[in-house]
Amino acid sequence: MKKNIYYFILILVTITTVSSCKKDTETPASTEETLSFHLHRNVGTADGIYDSLYQTASGRKFNITDYRFYISNIVLIKGDGSLYPLTGKVILAGPSAMEYELQKVPVGNYKGFTFMMGLDSITNHSDPTTFGAGSPLAVQTPSIHWDWNSGYIFFKVEGKVDTTAAANGSADFDYLYHIGMDDLKRTIDFSTNAFSVVSGSPHELHIEFDLLEALSNVDMRTENMTHTMDNFPLATKIADNWQAAWSAE
Amino acid sequence: MKKTLLYIFLISLTVYACKKDDDVPAIDPDAQVFTLQVPRGFPYPSVPADNRPTNYRVRLGKQLFNDPILSRDSTISCASCHKENMKFTDGLPFSEGIAGRHAARNSPSILNIAYQPYLFWDGGNPTVEQQVLGPIGNPNEMDFDANLVVERLKRNPDYVFKFMQAYGKEPSVYTLTRAIANYERTLFTGTSKYDRYMYDHDSTALNASEKNGMTLFFNEIGDCFHCHVDYNFTDYSFQNNGLYVNYPDSGRARITLKASDVGKFKVPTLRNVELTAPYMHDGSMATLEQVIDHYASGGQAHPNKSNVVRPRPLTAQDKTDLVNFLKALTDL
Repeated sequence: MKKNIYYFILILVTITTVSSCKKDTETPASTEETLSFHLHRNVGTADGIYDSLYQTASGRKFNITDYRFYISNIVLIKGDGSLYPLTGKVILAGPSAMEYELQKVPVGNYKGFTFMMGLDSITNHSDPTTFGAGSPLAVQTPSIHWDWNSGYIFFKVEGKVDTTAAANGSADFDYLYHIGMDDLKRTIDFSTNAFSVVSGSPHELHIEFDLLEALSNVDMRTENMTHTMDNFPLATKIADNWQAAWSAE
Repeated sequence: MKKTLLYIFLISLTVYACKKDDDVPAIDPDAQVFTLQVPRGFPYPSVPADNRPTNYRVRLGKQLFNDPILSRDSTISCASCHKENMKFTDGLPFSEGIAGRHAARNSPSILNIAYQPYLFWDGGNPTVEQQVLGPIGNPNEMDFDANLVVERLKRNPDYVFKFMQAYGKEPSVYTLTRAIANYERTLFTGTSKYDRYMYDHDSTALNASEKNGMTLFFNEIGDCFHCHVDYNFTDYSFQNNGLYVNYPDSGRARITLKASDVGKFKVPTLRNVELTAPYMHDGSMATLEQVIDHYASGGQAHPNKSNVVRPRPLTAQDKTDLVNFLKALTDL
């Protein structure tokens, strides 16, 4: 038995030696650096904060109680024009964070990037119960999945709005924009927003989304409800505004 | 160096051998994957690799299926609308949810659910597992949230124990949906007089009227078999059968958003149809005679109506025989 202990120590020593050897050979040459989105969910020029009061361009008061959307299929365009997809990365932009770490990417110059607002059809129809609780696609994420057509809500904005004709009342009428379904995913183009990733300094891509722009041609007094399938024209109108609602900060 | 490696190898062997001696696993038959008892003449259904049937899983699923813990106010279980003694339907045009609310469509039987390529009348849900989330979250049915069901289950030591037995995991939305689906996949139907005639080759199983009904069912005069085909009497296609000129419920179009899918619903099985009134997606027909009259008339005009639904010269006797054949699809 005593001998066994010696052997055990011997093993430990061996393992330690081997792993320290490994360490030596892996001195970082750092050809990759962390890339993140610094992302603002704005209402006009202000941050979108739940229960704050905002105004549409025409002066109509409204608040927001939910303001979240999915970003996926992020593709970087390298300096030589080749594409560098960040496969599998999904972000649910919401009130808890502005920083969304993407992954380590090769250092160098990039011509720009694109991403999908919404989810590709395979991800959209995957089983939400199979994702870990920390995943933005997990069934634990509150109220962002439909089970009647088994898909995710790509863009979810809710709150209350003043629906008086003269827009001089208070924001007390429920409005609801739930945009989903494969047809309404949209590719957002930042392909001319060049950036460089340099070794030793994590890079942030500063982007912002303006809800007022996304609702620019929507009359919140009358057009105040869509679950997509029950008001597809309104859902399409909003999805078609997404590109214009994005800008680089 | 070589010696050291040898020692490591020997020690590992010893440790491994010791371990083996200590926990020789007792074979627990209830944890073993079993073969589903499929009615004769039926193919073996595809079962997800992560949810093969075991007794522990089926028993847990059955308990959950019958437990109102799934609904917000703990009044409604799956079995409230899928009653075993009514062939897993409820006899109502629209099922009752919590607080006297009503579901938007007629409760379909879940027998032979293992063969369904997609769930719900509009096919909007792809698997038996994911389907479990539908009624739980529907505001007119259980009006609850699967995550909150899981919180309740975790507070119940009996359930926690049974989930560990069944899946080696505590209650989660994943294991909840697996367990109920596991039970549902064991529910088959296929022991009718028709099966005795068809698969047991007992020519006396059907009487003359039923046989004539069967002939009409499967020929171009009655023409039922275009959609109600094979062992489960459905091809699972989506069809507009001319119920209405204007459909209050758009059916399949709710999922596809295509105008060409308005008023189309998934073709249901006809097994036990005698016992699963009322009929159609909205329970709008109370008797089989009404259903046969509807198809004989050709139904209402609709641009999406199936070509097979057109006026048919059926005599009163033909209609009676067709109804008798449909009743021969009831489990013995």
